[in-house]
Amino acid sequence: MALFSAFQTTFLLALLSLKTYQSEVLSEPLSLAPESLEVSIDSARQCLHLQWSVHNLAYHQELKMVFQIEISRIKTSNVIWVENYSTTVKRNQVLRWSWESKLPLECAKHSVRMRGAVDDAQVPELRFWSNWTSWEEVDVQSSLGHDPLFVFPKDKLVEEGSNVTICYVSRSHQNNISCYLEGVRMHGEQLDPNVCVFHLKNVPFIRETGTNIYCKADQGDVIKGIVLFVSKVFEEPKDFSCETRDLKTLNCTWAPGSDAGLLTQLSQSYTLFESLKATKCAPRTLCKHKSWCNWQVSPDSQEMYNFTLTAENYLRKRSVHLLFNLTHRVHPMAPFNVFVKNVSATNATMTWKVHSIGNYSTLLCQIELYGEGKVIQKQNVSVKVNGKHLMKKLEPSTEYAAQVRCANAHHFWKWSEWTRRNFTTAEAAPSEAPDVWRNVKSVQGHCVVTLFWKPLSKLQANGKILFYNVVLENLDRPSTLKLLSIPAPANGTELTLDRCSYQIHVTANNSVGTSPASVIAVSGDPGNKEVEEERVKGTEDGFCLSWKPQPGDVTGYVVEWCERPGDPLCDLQWKNLGPNTTSTVVSSDAFRPGVRYNFRIYGISTERIPYLLEKKTGYSQELVPSDNPQVLMSNLTSYSFTLSWKDYAAESQPGFVRGYSLYLKSKAARCLPGSEKAVLSDDSICCKYKIDNPKQKTFVVENLQPASFYEFFLTPYTSVGEGPQGAFTKVTTPDEYSHILIRIILPMIFSILLIMILCYLKSQWMKEKCYPDIPDPYKSSVLSLIKSKENPRLTIMNVKDCIPDAIEVINKQEGTRKSLTETEPTKPTYLYLLPTEKSHSGPGPCICFENFTYNQAASDSVSCGHVPVTPKAQPSQLGLLTSSENVPKALGKNYVNSLGEIPAGETNLNYVSQLASPMCGDKSSLPTNPPEPALCSEYKTQMAIPMGLASPPSITLLDEGEHDH
Amino acid sequence: MLACLCAVLWHLPAVPALNRTGDPGPGPSIQKTYDLTRYLEHQLRSLAGTYLNYLGPPFNEPDFNPPRLGAETLPRATVNLDVWRGLNDKLRLTQNYEAYSHLLCYLRGLDRQAATAELRRSLAHFCTSLQGLLGSIAGVMAALGYPLPQPLPGTEPTRAPGPAHSDFLQKMDDFWLLKELQTWLWRSAKDFNRLKKKTQPPPAAVTLHLEAHGF
Repeated sequence: MALFSAFQTTFLLALLSLKTYQSEVLSEPLSLAPESLEVSIDSARQCLHLQWSVHNLAYHQELKMVFQIEISRIKTSNVIWVENYSTTVKRNQVLRWSWESKLPLECAKHSVRMRGAVDDAQVPELRFWSNWTSWEEVDVQSSLGHDPLFVFPKDKLVEEGSNVTICYVSRSHQNNISCYLEGVRMHGEQLDPNVCVFHLKNVPFIRETGTNIYCKADQGDVIKGIVLFVSKVFEEPKDFSCETRDLKTLNCTWAPGSDAGLLTQLSQSYTLFESLKATKCAPRTLCKHKSWCNWQVSPDSQEMYNFTLTAENYLRKRSVHLLFNLTHRVHPMAPFNVFVKNVSATNATMTWKVHSIGNYSTLLCQIELYGEGKVIQKQNVSVKVNGKHLMKKLEPSTEYAAQVRCANAHHFWKWSEWTRRNFTTAEAAPSEAPDVWRNVKSVQGHCVVTLFWKPLSKLQANGKILFYNVVLENLDRPSTLKLLSIPAPANGTELTLDRCSYQIHVTANNSVGTSPASVIAVSGDPGNKEVEEERVKGTEDGFCLSWKPQPGDVTGYVVEWCERPGDPLCDLQWKNLGPNTTSTVVSSDAFRPGVRYNFRIYGISTERIPYLLEKKTGYSQELVPSDNPQVLMSNLTSYSFTLSWKDYAAESQPGFVRGYSLYLKSKAARCLPGSEKAVLSDDSICCKYKIDNPKQKTFVVENLQPASFYEFFLTPYTSVGEGPQGAFTKVTTPDEYSHILIRIILPMIFSILLIMILCYLKSQWMKEKCYPDIPDPYKSSVLSLIKSKENPRLTIMNVKDCIPDAIEVINKQEGTRKSLTETEPTKPTYLYLLPTEKSHSGPGPCICFENFTYNQAASDSVSCGHVPVTPKAQPSQLGLLTSSENVPKALGKNYVNSLGEIPAGETNLNYVSQLASPMCGDKSSLPTNPPEPALCSEYKTQMAIPMGLASPPSITLLDEGEHDH
Repeated sequence: MLACLCAVLWHLPAVPALNRTGDPGPGPSIQKTYDLTRYLEHQLRSLAGTYLNYLGPPFNEPDFNPPRLGAETLPRATVNLDVWRGLNDKLRLTQNYEAYSHLLCYLRGLDRQAATAELRRSLAHFCTSLQGLLGSIAGVMAALGYPLPQPLPGTEPTRAPGPAHSDFLQKMDDFWLLKELQTWLWRSAKDFNRLKKKTQPPPAAVTLHLEAHGF
């Protein structure tokens, strides 16, 4: 009650006051003018801050007023800005208003004035302008200091594309000032003599350290500058989006725009504001992160939200909006408690739970089943809280992965993350019989059967194969069964059987059961009949094999081959084919080029007995021969030679040898018939013979030139090409006549040898016949006969015993004939003849004893009987020969020379013995009696004594011991 | 390689050969210091080019020669020729040592301002080299028996521009820092060349003497 009475009093007082006011206005219009106007400067922002108040208002009175503000530059008459500012005014309230100048405030003097008017409907009568305030002058220049030059604004920060006004203030009137933008001179507008203004439009971003602007005076070293920092345009956030995972928290994300590109990055702030329910409780959230922000969902089930994201930096503010229904922005959490239960060989059940997203919400869950890395089943299930899904048609003993994710069923926004579980199905009995093949060998009367089987595929095995059962059924004795259990992972076994026929059953077993049996029979007859081998051409895709269909009942065919033909283990492979198949392609990654593969095609009889049908051989890819044959050359003649290479193994080559190429080099320009010119890899030209028959292992090279040099080289060739180039073998054909010569000369030599041998064997006979020994008179049996009869009258006459009866001395001119052995041709050689008991004190006068028995000419021509004169015999030496004892010794030195050896030019003594015998060469007939030395004399005996006649008694016989034999 | 060089230079004072008791005397260490100044000259040429381009025109213009405003705290390398000739070895070395100590501090401030990683790396390399030069000068002074100048407390140069220090003036300071550094390296090369000649024994006289003996 007291409160009411106090309020009523106050109201009445106010009414009284208004009444008084009205009475005053009516009498004198009340001026509500702005008062106490103050102007301050913010140089960095180039702002003028105005503050004033209105004093004439009544206490607690609030009126709407409008203030007109005028801003002039340089002089008051130059008004550059007029603005009406409306606001509610209280008594003594300090009012503020700011104005940003385009021109830096330092560049010019600014003046501000204002006036006010009441703009209130309550008091329409007060709607008139008050008086202007006085001009408030803002002159920053006066406080700049005493520097000669200033440039403004200082280090301003603007956005790319802005317009900027720059000015300089110079203190000196004389100096010309030049200003440069990035080194390029600017041209401005002279505001007053000391101030110049430059307008930069659409400034670009240049570098992070800012754009340099500087001014300098023409005189002196005055330079001033500023850095204009131009930032890149602040972009609005992109991809703004909000979602919730639990209906309690909203997570809003966005992509911030590019940065300012400046050295000092401008700080950016992001604010999130919800406008539909702008409650006082946190209507605005200042985001801590640059790209996301969380918002707590109010508990009053507000469904609609209108978010505003505001991005702000020093220069600009950007906003993006987002209006959405909360339930449409549900991003469910990943399912939990996910299990795979009741896993059998073919089925499994998956169960899971989901986080609730409201009381009546339903989630759509997606289940994916992965097998071997691929999706094999995909299913969608509606779930409220618990999910369950049965997975069927699974493979036994197989690893699977199942995963589940969920989304809002009614308003799909986003799938949750996957939750994944792995499981393996249970095993089942093997579904297929193992693929079995055999190799039969006969060893010592037994049949050795090697069984091979291929491991079952994963789909066929249905689990881990533990062992293989082999049952041998003797067909001859059907009641006899033999069981062998072979543990896995064996893929074969060897059985030694007798000659009986057997049927073999092979089964694969895992932990659950047994596979169907594979049956193969072995007959007592191995049936290795001779089948001709055919060649087959392989391709990149394999070998295309075909065979003739069998007329009888055939249950199928088997193609068998070795993947490693050279290997003892062979790696036997086989391929089962149906009874109606007559061709197949055998391919394998193991096939290598240049390897010969042999294929055997078997037919399988109704009794399951395989029998060989055909053999094929071929290369998957033929190569050139790897080596050349060792060639032997034979039958070399002047015109041909034969080559042979019988040891060459053509089958071991990496291709079918189609023939041979023989290269022959010769000096002949033309190739022989049967050959053609070929150029070798070293650019040499030769002749090439082609031998097309691969079985031909000899070749005769004919039509060659005798005594010519040839080189040959033989190489095999396959369908791909020839073998490696090797060294040429050199051969030279023999001369054409050499064989004829050999045919003649050899028998001749043989004959001569034979004759020589015969002669040697019969030499005694020959001697006797051709040149019997000349009897030596001294050894003659006559002598003994004489001696034995002691007949002094019967003797052999000695030459010394002959007394010459005439001596002819012939003087010859010196120098007419010279001998090669002559040492002193000018000196005559003296030969003392007839050294008898009658000694001569010196050479006597040359006396010639004429003996007419002999013809002069005959004595000159006949050499027999000459007394040789030793060329070395010096006069002094010869002088020794005067002694009768010395003569035989001197002559005994076999100085028996021909006539030519006798010095011809000197004065010589030619002695012709009268006992000269017509028998030549008998040394014993030499005169032993030294002749009388006589200078320049020639002695001829004139005494002729008949053979066998007695000499005069004055002649004495020499002793036998003095004979020189 | 640069790291190895700097490590060697940093340990130069500890090398016994630089001590006066060592046999070779200060000659080799003076030669090494001279070589290092030439190497730093070369290195600075590349660094200054990059950094001035980073500042932008007019700082990277070849004929830009602004007045030395606001860079008074930088040690001046230019000196009257007669004064320079009159410097004794100790004073010469001390001036060098003090100048590079100050310049190194300013340079580290420059390093902190650089924006690009490549420029920061180049500046860091140069600072390490300059540190090596300081160590080398200290080694020469120790070899000659001169004490190292002690920094006065509170006079450690810092790079903290005041509120009135505009960005343009800051760039000007950076320009002058690089320019003064270059001038100091030129001067140091001359200083150490002069020192080198003084410390070398007169080889010509010895040679002549030996030759006279020879005849």
